[in-house]
Amino acid sequence: MNLPDDFAFTQGSLQDAADCPRRFELRYIKRLRYPAVEAAPALQFERRTRQGARFHKLVQQHLMGLPAETLAWSLHDDPELAAWWGAFRKTGLTGLPQGRQAEIALQTRLGGRRLIAKYDLLALDAGGEAVIVDWKTWRRVPAQSHLQGRLQTILYRYVLAKAGGHLYGGPIPPEKIHMIYSFVAAGGQRLGIDYSAAQLREDEDYLLNLIAEIDRAEQFPLTEDETRCRFCTYRSLCERGEAGSLDLLDEEDEFAEEDYRLDFDQIAEIEF
Amino acid sequence: MSAKLQIPLTAEQAAIAAAAPDRKIWLEGIAGSGKTSAGIGRLLRLLEQGIPAESILIYVPQRSLAQPYLQALRQHSGYSGGQVAVQTIGGLSLQMVEAFWFLIAERAGFGHPQDLPNFLSLESVQYFMTKVIEPLVNQRDYFNSVRIERARLYSQIVDNMNKAAVVGFRIEQIAPRLKSALPGGVEQGHIYDDAQTCALEFRQYCLANNLLDFSLQLEVFLDQVWNLPQARAHVRRRYRHLIVDNVEEDNPASHRILADLLRMCQSALVIYDSDAGFRRFLGADPENARGLQDLCDSQAQFADSKVMSVAGRALGRALAGQLGAPFVTGLDESAEDDPQPSLITEAHRYHPQMVDWAADRIDELVNRQGVSPREIVVMAPFMSDVLRFALVEGLMARDIRARSHRPSRALRDEPAARALLTFARLAHPRWSMTPAEFDVAFAVMTAIDGLDLIRAKLLTEMLYRGGRLLPFSDVKSEAMQDRITYELGARYDRLQTWLNNYIEGAPTEALDIFFRQLFGEVLSRPGFGFHDNSDAGNISMNLVDSARNFRWSLEFVRRYEDQTDLGRDYLDMVDRGVIADFYLRDWIADNDDCVLIAPAYTFLLGNRAVDYQFWLNIGSEGWARRLYQPLTHPHVLSLGWRADRTWTDDDEAAMNRQTLGRLVLALTRRCRKEIYLGYSELSESGHEQRGLLLEAIHGLLRRSAAKNINGKAHV
Repeated sequence: MNLPDDFAFTQGSLQDAADCPRRFELRYIKRLRYPAVEAAPALQFERRTRQGARFHKLVQQHLMGLPAETLAWSLHDDPELAAWWGAFRKTGLTGLPQGRQAEIALQTRLGGRRLIAKYDLLALDAGGEAVIVDWKTWRRVPAQSHLQGRLQTILYRYVLAKAGGHLYGGPIPPEKIHMIYSFVAAGGQRLGIDYSAAQLREDEDYLLNLIAEIDRAEQFPLTEDETRCRFCTYRSLCERGEAGSLDLLDEEDEFAEEDYRLDFDQIAEIEF
Repeated sequence: MSAKLQIPLTAEQAAIAAAAPDRKIWLEGIAGSGKTSAGIGRLLRLLEQGIPAESILIYVPQRSLAQPYLQALRQHSGYSGGQVAVQTIGGLSLQMVEAFWFLIAERAGFGHPQDLPNFLSLESVQYFMTKVIEPLVNQRDYFNSVRIERARLYSQIVDNMNKAAVVGFRIEQIAPRLKSALPGGVEQGHIYDDAQTCALEFRQYCLANNLLDFSLQLEVFLDQVWNLPQARAHVRRRYRHLIVDNVEEDNPASHRILADLLRMCQSALVIYDSDAGFRRFLGADPENARGLQDLCDSQAQFADSKVMSVAGRALGRALAGQLGAPFVTGLDESAEDDPQPSLITEAHRYHPQMVDWAADRIDELVNRQGVSPREIVVMAPFMSDVLRFALVEGLMARDIRARSHRPSRALRDEPAARALLTFARLAHPRWSMTPAEFDVAFAVMTAIDGLDLIRAKLLTEMLYRGGRLLPFSDVKSEAMQDRITYELGARYDRLQTWLNNYIEGAPTEALDIFFRQLFGEVLSRPGFGFHDNSDAGNISMNLVDSARNFRWSLEFVRRYEDQTDLGRDYLDMVDRGVIADFYLRDWIADNDDCVLIAPAYTFLLGNRAVDYQFWLNIGSEGWARRLYQPLTHPHVLSLGWRADRTWTDDDEAAMNRQTLGRLVLALTRRCRKEIYLGYSELSESGHEQRGLLLEAIHGLLRRSAAKNINGKAHV
């Protein structure tokens, strides 16, 4: 066992394990924090990441009851974000089931480990469709096959099938699960991915293997694909070049918002 | 959805856990009586019954106090479903103000309701406080008779504002309250007036610039957001089941929200720790918390400790009794119980002897008796750098891991941070903050793997000229080049070249980005001091977080007014000792198998029991006496204070005794086996020590001796 008993796998940690076992080891086993710049120019990268986080916050505020117009009024200082918001208002919630849960996390167990998925939006009607919506602020829309192979797609559908029954009124048949990636920077274009019982079994086997490999591993080799090191903060430790160019980065909102946010909650308690 | 979720419970705990999911229960008992275990049992039972986890709220005064609940959930093998929420008043108010900001900002009086709010951390608060009120303080000669550091003065003004917010009075009432209760003459009255003027100025500045310190965040939440139907509907929908722990450590603002939550929710368990309330200096109000009892359907009481030994229980009772504590509950056992078996004491003349004694005893426990270091805590009322260093070194010499925990640790004291800050000065000559030669030598030594301080000093003596580093080739003496070695010279050159290229290029104003670039491009590379160095990585990350948070706050205000250089201002704040934010990730290390070295209250706020406690400096008055705070007062600014009363010396003495009584009870209730008392006649600074705790312990030992009990005491 390389990890503590209560370790939870998320899409980020699973993607790290799949991309580069060495990165997984450094980040989650050794818990080594390495504050190198992810992408250059750093300030532009920061701006884009913060824009992505702010967009997600807007959606959350709207789903908590704030009128879309009020939120649009607050975007006077960021025309790009205002355009994304406009795209969301047009099609963001169109055709989705009415039972909606924003920013909800579900967890289940597999191979003796916890799996956690944090959803932008779950839209489910009892006995009807169960839709996972994930808003992306990426500048380019990737190929469907790329999305299909992402750990996020694999994990989110699997966890919903296993742990979302209480939101659905009973077990969710995999065929009722759909995942929608909504690209607001591309005018709200959607790419949908279905699910099936066969796919669930395949995903389960894949996740089981990945988890077992991590648990059993005696060595965590560095990836041979050096392009995966471009935006990794450990690249100086592994002697794998300089920070990648922002132009080559599409998935900046995958850099966790938490990395950019202090735990004000705890700080407020202590400072006072 | 969920498998059987169970933990072993006693009958009384099981009864709490199994109560119907529409019951609201008040549970009271002493520390260690199993209340939190009952709470965990309740949580698991709710989940087992199919209650959605996301509808359950665990509400605590401090986030780390929810860890036992989260840990229990994490370790359960069968659970599938949502996640329970954990909230504190700080977290809830921040999230709600942020979420509903655009509905309330204008009404709340903010200057730019169309823009986002900016929530300030402590260091940002200190920065803006300094910026806003320092001109006033200088021009009008405020606080001229108060002889403490400015940063501490300002933190007391912040403290006053926070107390007003959590208790629920306007900040205009701060000075009248203090003046009427603490008559200290005209001069003292002026000091309170000045403190209030500063608080009001700061509040106006925050409102004008969309800044929210903790006090304003809380006021806006209570007065504005909490009155919004949308906000209440959101909370009502979201949290149907409530588990509140350590409610006695929470403040009246929290109690007000909890009262509403109790009315809204379907079920609740409210847990109250008798004889506690240690966070009074943070606004905790255990008396006010009791009002929530009336909103519950039933009451339960746990009387027996599941932690303390008979002797430990007797010790707590005897010491609290010696201090005349009137509030002690659950201590009506036989007065004949002997406290001595739980107590090991030894007197020393000098402070270092006491530290050595403590290290020897811990060595005996860990290395001879096989006690887990995690089961040992070493406490003192204050943990000075000297004491902390001596203890850590003493334990390391005995091959024992220790970790020290101080809530406010200045980053600038850490070598990695010191080096980064020195390089920041070097890299930004236009700030005119040229570092001293020794600081440069220290930074170069820290940065270059294999370079010792002597050679680092030689390098800087030869190559640090006019605020810049010259290349290694400028060392003309071959003997000196050999002494430094070409390998280290090459590393030095890489650092020097990077810095000079940075200066020649376009230096960023974002100091955090500078730190990250220097870290990633030089210091973390092979051959440099931060390479594969987890301490340096963590400290650097903390510094980056601190500088980035500071930059964001200032960039935000720049939209409304001209600002000076961000990076320079940050360094200036560091020099003034303002950088002291506390980061949660330091708490995460609490599971490590190390001896904990901490101030007594820090240990208590972690809310866990250990087998062995070491109380050092028992002669110190700090065990009972509160800090000198000339601008504020925790009792006068509390909810229960009557406006017509005056705080007297007798009140102060009684409060000291009561505070110490609570403290010793709390500590003994968190000790399973033995307490070691370390005493030295002379304190760290060479003064004789005769504090209240020592007096109480002397009394206890005299009584024991009179009963002719054989013990191990040697005081």
